[in-house]
This record gives sequence, C-alpha cells and structure tokens, in this order.
Amino acid sequence: MEDTRGLIAALALLGLVGGLALLGRGLRAYGRAGRVAGIATSRISTLAAGEVRLVGTVEADVLTLVSPLQSTPCVYYRSRIRERSGDDTRTVFEEEEDVAFRLRDGSGTIRILPRGARWDAPLRFDAASDWTGGDPPGLDVNPGATHRRTELDREAQIAALLTVHPAADLPGEDSDGGSMLSALTLGAGGLGGSRRRDYEERRLEPGDTVTILGSALPFGDLESPAGAGPDDPTSALDDPEVAMNLAEAREAGILRATPEEAWGNAAIPGFGIGQPARAPELDPAADRPPLADREAAAEAERRFEIPAGELVVAAAAGHPLAILLGTPGEARGREEATVLLGLAGAALAIAGATTLALTLPGLLR
Amino acid sequence: MSPLAAAALFAVALAVVIAAFLAVVTYNAVVALRTRIDKAWGNVEVALRQRHDQLPALVDAVRDLMAFEQDVLVEVTRQRARYAPDAPVADQGPVSAATTSALRALFAVVERYPEIRSQENVLRLQGEIERLEGLLADRRELYNDQVFRHNATIAQVPAVVLASLFGWKPRPFFDAGEDAERAPDVSLDARGAGSVR
Repeated sequence: MEDTRGLIAALALLGLVGGLALLGRGLRAYGRAGRVAGIATSRISTLAAGEVRLVGTVEADVLTLVSPLQSTPCVYYRSRIRERSGDDTRTVFEEEEDVAFRLRDGSGTIRILPRGARWDAPLRFDAASDWTGGDPPGLDVNPGATHRRTELDREAQIAALLTVHPAADLPGEDSDGGSMLSALTLGAGGLGGSRRRDYEERRLEPGDTVTILGSALPFGDLESPAGAGPDDPTSALDDPEVAMNLAEAREAGILRATPEEAWGNAAIPGFGIGQPARAPELDPAADRPPLADREAAAEAERRFEIPAGELVVAAAAGHPLAILLGTPGEARGREEATVLLGLAGAALAIAGATTLALTLPGLLR
Repeated sequence: MSPLAAAALFAVALAVVIAAFLAVVTYNAVVALRTRIDKAWGNVEVALRQRHDQLPALVDAVRDLMAFEQDVLVEVTRQRARYAPDAPVADQGPVSAATTSALRALFAVVERYPEIRSQENVLRLQGEIERLEGLLADRRELYNDQVFRHNATIAQVPAVVLASLFGWKPRPFFDAGEDAERAPDVSLDARGAGSVR
C-alpha cells in the first residue's frame, strides 16, 4: 500500500514539474507568436531601416555549409548523434553552424547576417542504426570542410536546385574522409550488442521559404560588424577593463597586430575555398594550389567586402533575429501549437499538485 | 489547511500567474504595435516630403514645353499646395491620392510630346517621381497593414480588456480615397490638347 502511494506521489511530482515546464515553454511561445503576428511584411526593394519582417527564399551568399550527416549544402545545420546502450544514452557528436545568406522576395535580395539568431529549422534527417548496429539509409557523412565557396552563377544555382539528386549513398561507401565525425559514424557499423545510434539533422537549405524577424540597418551601423550581434564579445571593446586586458595582451605579445599574423594563410582571400589571391606559406612537400589571376583575386576580395552603406538584416538591441521556416502563418501556427501544449501542461501541473496534496499526508504520517 | 484546499490554492495561484503573464505580454505587444505604426507613418512622411520637394522642379521643366496643357500643371501645383505635413493622417490620404492622380495625368500628357520626352532632365525627374510613387505605395501598404494588425488586436481578447482600461483607440488608415482608384481621365478637347477631369 505504502509502495503504491509512493509511486503515485512520484508520478504526481513528475506531472507537476513536467506540466510547469510545458507551461513555461508555452508562455514563451505565446510571446514569440505575438511578435510574428505583430509585424507587417516589408518588401526588400523599399525596405526602411528598423525592425522588419521579411518573407522570401533562401539563397546562398559567399559561402555555403555542408551538413555533417548528409553532406547537403545549406546555410544552417544542427546535427546530433546519440548513442544508446541499455538505459544509458549519451551524445557522441553535436554541432551547430550557420553562415550569412541572402533572402530573395519578388522585389529584390538582401544579405542576412545570422549571428545570434534563433533558428526554427526543419528536422531533415531523423534515423537510427539498424538492429545490427549498421548505419541507417540516408547517412552520408561529410568527409571534408564544412564551408564551401558558393557558385555565383545564378543559372548554375537554379540548375542545382532543379536537379533531382539520387538517394544518399549506401552506408560505408563514403570512407575516404579523415574527419572525426567520419571515424565516429563509420565505426558505428561495428557497434554490435545493444548499442544503437540516433541521428538527427536540422537544416535550412537554399530554396527554402523563410520568415525573418530582425533589424534592417546599414552594415556600417552594426554594433560589431565582425560579430553582427549584440552578444558578440567584440562589442565590449569600449569597456576599460577589456581595453586594459587587450593592452596587456599586446605587451605580452599574445595579441597579433594583423589578420595575416593571427590567422596565417586563412587571412588570404580565396585560400581553402578556391584559388588564393596570394601565395600561401605551405610545407615544401605540400601541393601548391594555383593562384587566382588578377581578375579572380579582385573578385575574391570583393566578395568578402560588404559596403558600409549596404542595408543588411541582423540582430540589434531590442530586436533579436529569428529565422523561421515557412510563411508567417506557418511559423505562427507552430508557436500556437506550443501554446496549446503549455495550457495542457498547466492542467497536468494542477492535476499533479492535487494528487500530491492527497497522497503526501498519508505518506508522511 | 486541507489537501484539497492546498491544491485549489495552487490552481488559483497558477491561473493568476498565467493571467498576469498574458496581461504583461499583451500590453507590451500593443505598445510595440503602436510604436511600429508611428515608425511606419514616419517612413510614409519621408516619401511624401521627398515627392513634395521634387514636384516644382518637374513642373518648371515641362512648363514652357507644354503650351496648351496648363490646366494639368495647375492641378499638380494645386494638389502640391494642399500638402500639410502636420494634418491628421485621415486628411492626408485623399490629398496624397489626388496628387498621385494629377501626376498620372501629367505623365500621360507628357507621353504625347516627343520633344519633352527627349529632355534628359524631364526623364530623370519623371523617373525619380515614379520611384517615389512606388516607394510611397509600398510604405502606405506597410502602414495600413500595421494599422490593421493594431486595430484587430485591440478588438480581440485579451487586448480588448486592456484597451478599455488604457483607452486604446483604433488608428486611422492612410486611405488613398476613391480618387486614386479611378484612372485619370485625360482626353483631347476641341483644341487637341489634354485636360484633366
């Protein structure tokens, strides 16, 4: 009898805590849904500075990402691999990455700088290893770099979007990679026993329709152009304490004076993502990449330069950036579903509290 | 306190917390909506002011070349003079629409004069004013959309409760008026010249 009461009390406590957590989530979603509904959609061509809502199609800008689990070109991904062994579950790989992109509507395009954004991206890959521990179909681990230079030719981009790609390669075929993730996932084939892996990847890809809430402002007015976000640590450079630390670091020779000193070859435009504009310093035994001609070098320099007067969309003080899949109605619908779940959570919490109030006195007696 | 009373107290406390949260979020949302309306109106005003400033240059550029269509020019000038930046939004809508209509009539007449259309400064001014008309149309749409969201929100639960408490009233639309919906009537009169009705 005591055991049953204890179990009921534990379940009631679980219901109370879980219900309150759901309620908290629902209330936050209520605020977000209100923000989506409260801003009218602007046209990119006649955009005025300030808080804006834009609806359009994602287009790659200078770089695209290559997703880790399916090697798909995208502008944002969040990938995770979890390993289950009996009752034990642990995350063996987790990575989130985003890159600046362009948004196109019927009137034009604008650059989106997503640092610090809240992403609402669809779950594009959700699979588990089979009963033998083998990799699931659709897994196509990216063996190379996560960033890829975007093909600027618009016609080529359209052709790529319209091309039907074959289903991902069979597991184990892509074995020439040297990345940690490659080693990790390819090793999954030999898991055996009771160990299983769950794979999840959320992505936003070129061609997706998105709703963006944020602040339109000239690039030169960003608090921190390097970080394009109010939370970026570089925006604290005015802080006297930070300035003192920087001075000390310079004196100690820890802080480099130029990007070339700090980043080496990575500071050379085009290095690693195409033809470098200048000769990189490489190991004598390394293969030397062909240098870009004058025109290509100028193009590489230009692609990474954003004019100070160009209007961009980014996070700004008081106007956080949100990038949501679909039209405003779809994005709001998802938030409202979470609000309803939150109300159900409130009911669950009340039921849990009532049950707890009825069972606890008996247990404590 | 009995267990049931404690549970009831918890339920009431939770309901109060939810209601307080909704009140705060709704209040902030309506304040944000009103701020966005003010900002959207500010952007409309900028476009109106720019158009107002460009019109004398256009009229001066075509005045001597349009010998017979002085009434078209007079109409543009008359509508420009009616512009009052401090007037209420509801009054500015018809004035702006009438100015747009007069400009359309002027551009329609200009089309008949190859010697005017060949003037580079006229073409430049016409292009600039057409750009401003497009900008104005987009910003008017954005303003009206924002007003619609505000008016709809304060008419719905839960904001309607707060609206009566804080005296929130619906905001006026920047209504283009019936004139803007009607295509300008540019016809040839007995002298073979254009006139606006």
